[in-house]
Amino acid sequence: MTAIDVLAVGFGGLGEQDHQSAMYLPAFAAHPGFRVVGVAATHPSDVVRAQEAALRYSVPYHADLDGALSTVAAPVVSVAAPAGVRADALTTVLRAGRHVLADKPFTPTRAEAERVAEEARRAGTHVVVAHHHRFHPMIVAGAGALRGGKVGLPWNVQVDFVVAGGNPCPDELLNFGCYPVDAVAALTGLPVHRVHATGAGELTVLALDHEHGLTSTIVVGRTAPRAGIAAGRLAHHRYRVSGSHGVLVLDATKPSVTVTTSAGLDRQWLPIDTVARLLDDLHATVSGGRPSAAGLDEAVRTAGVLDAARRSLADGVPVATNGAPA
Amino acid sequence: MERDFANAFGVVIVGTGMIAELHVAALRASGRARLVGLVDTDPARAAAASLANGGVPATTDLAEALAWPGVDGAIVCTPNGSHGVIAKAVAAAGKHLMIEKPLATTTEEGLAVVEAFRARGLVLATAHTHRVYDYSMAVKAALDSGQVGEPQVIRASLLGGWIWGDWSAWVLDPKRSGGHQLHNGVHLLDLVTWWMGAQPDSVYARGRRQTATELPIYDYLEMVLRFPGGRVAHCEMSRAHRPGNVNHRDVLVIGTQGTVALPWDGEQSLVFGEQGVSGLLPVSGSAFARQLDAWLDGAPVAGGDEGLAAVAMAEAAELSMATGQPVALPGVRVGAGR
Repeated sequence: MTAIDVLAVGFGGLGEQDHQSAMYLPAFAAHPGFRVVGVAATHPSDVVRAQEAALRYSVPYHADLDGALSTVAAPVVSVAAPAGVRADALTTVLRAGRHVLADKPFTPTRAEAERVAEEARRAGTHVVVAHHHRFHPMIVAGAGALRGGKVGLPWNVQVDFVVAGGNPCPDELLNFGCYPVDAVAALTGLPVHRVHATGAGELTVLALDHEHGLTSTIVVGRTAPRAGIAAGRLAHHRYRVSGSHGVLVLDATKPSVTVTTSAGLDRQWLPIDTVARLLDDLHATVSGGRPSAAGLDEAVRTAGVLDAARRSLADGVPVATNGAPA
Repeated sequence: MERDFANAFGVVIVGTGMIAELHVAALRASGRARLVGLVDTDPARAAAASLANGGVPATTDLAEALAWPGVDGAIVCTPNGSHGVIAKAVAAAGKHLMIEKPLATTTEEGLAVVEAFRARGLVLATAHTHRVYDYSMAVKAALDSGQVGEPQVIRASLLGGWIWGDWSAWVLDPKRSGGHQLHNGVHLLDLVTWWMGAQPDSVYARGRRQTATELPIYDYLEMVLRFPGGRVAHCEMSRAHRPGNVNHRDVLVIGTQGTVALPWDGEQSLVFGEQGVSGLLPVSGSAFARQLDAWLDGAPVAGGDEGLAAVAMAEAAELSMATGQPVALPGVRVGAGR
């Protein structure tokens, strides 16, 4: 596998998030298909984390994005800029003709997502969005079963995507909502045209209407810590797809073995590293030139669903994903 | 237990369909109540039910049955659209009533029924039987224990295959059944409000005619209830799932301090047979016996107010499905329940 150079830019997200340090850089460093060659800040809030990353990975630190892009010829740029400057950072990188791994949430709004997508079209480069749960092998296998007609024509999907504990985020719907919305898209391939959202603290119940009359309901968000669930991990991650000829029941907290001791319960399994699988997809996309499964079209649609959900929460009524009354 | 037939509470069963058999079985097992007779508008069905129950009197005339000696109350198991009229007749005859859900097919009629029994000091029970199955009582006990804090999101799903016969089934006639939201949806609407310990302020519902597009009712329902204080319940009721032996009961309560979960495979034994996978009936004490005892105690599992609240929610769900919009629930008088 040919190693592709990567520049990591931006060390922020929503609130205190830093997925660049926590997720992407470790995954790039461990992946045989990539080589981290530099890091850059995109905002003053990035600086300390970027400098720490430079030390940790023994790569040059760049104080600003333009400077990094003008001196580092890496074909892939990992962008995890703070939410407020994320769309600008993405468009800057695309104008420089680079391929992008984009942190999630891709952009805070659909309008920004479309602006970035337009820039990518002009640049002719690839953007892979870090909706990595779609690469969970159980979801991949589930999508394959559905495409193969194992349950006939799907007409409903039920999803629980609930994280226990960890660092709270100022907007848990934006933070986590993209994952199950994208996973349902991966499973069904059917875009959403209408959204009704109901809030319950840090949890949201999304009722989505898709093409071909498919409906889905997603419970997504964060709860207080739960015994036996590592902080910030998924307490509930399951999908039930009802079809004309059967039902697919998929629990993505599995496979697992349950270990019981005098101290309590623990669920264990060899790690299923969906971020590594995301990088596999990025490598194949960049080196093979084929569109990513986690590409821009899907990311823009997902941003549209979350936009509509926010409006629905505010207005208390269903909202069309194209912004029209529903 | 020695059965004291002389002093046992005398009951007539009105309507002799499938659900009546479960009420009769509870009566048969009870040491406190006895079956006096049966009523069915179909003479052949009335006669057959009499034969199956030791030749107890049977009639097609409700007034006649209510006037039989020794009748203290009635258990009504007729199609939903007849509930209001029959209930008011039972009240007028001065008899106590346990009525199959839904209490009525409109809130207006349900309210009239509640008032009729209240005015006469008679006990009115609505057969929201799911409240006294082991699974629902276990969920309620876990919530009441305070272990998981306050419920934030409740998910309750009852999924099954087609059981409604052919196009002649009365359940398929909205005039007779009120639609699926009233026929079966009220089970879940009642349960989640009971578990939540509150009444919702709005309902958003979606329905589908999955088994056949020509169905006049929805065989699959989703109902999202919004409760005061930013809490939500999601109810899923299906007679549309395939294969037909799918029988998923799935409950998930996410509380502020913990979770109560009854996953679909958490209750029943599974059989992996040559014809595929099927589930055995979940183990539970007799909900119908518990329900009967509570009625005889004068403290129904669900009374008229609870039955009325469920009808109001189902009506709102129907309106929501028709308009595609969430529907606000007006304040419905609801008693403390149990």
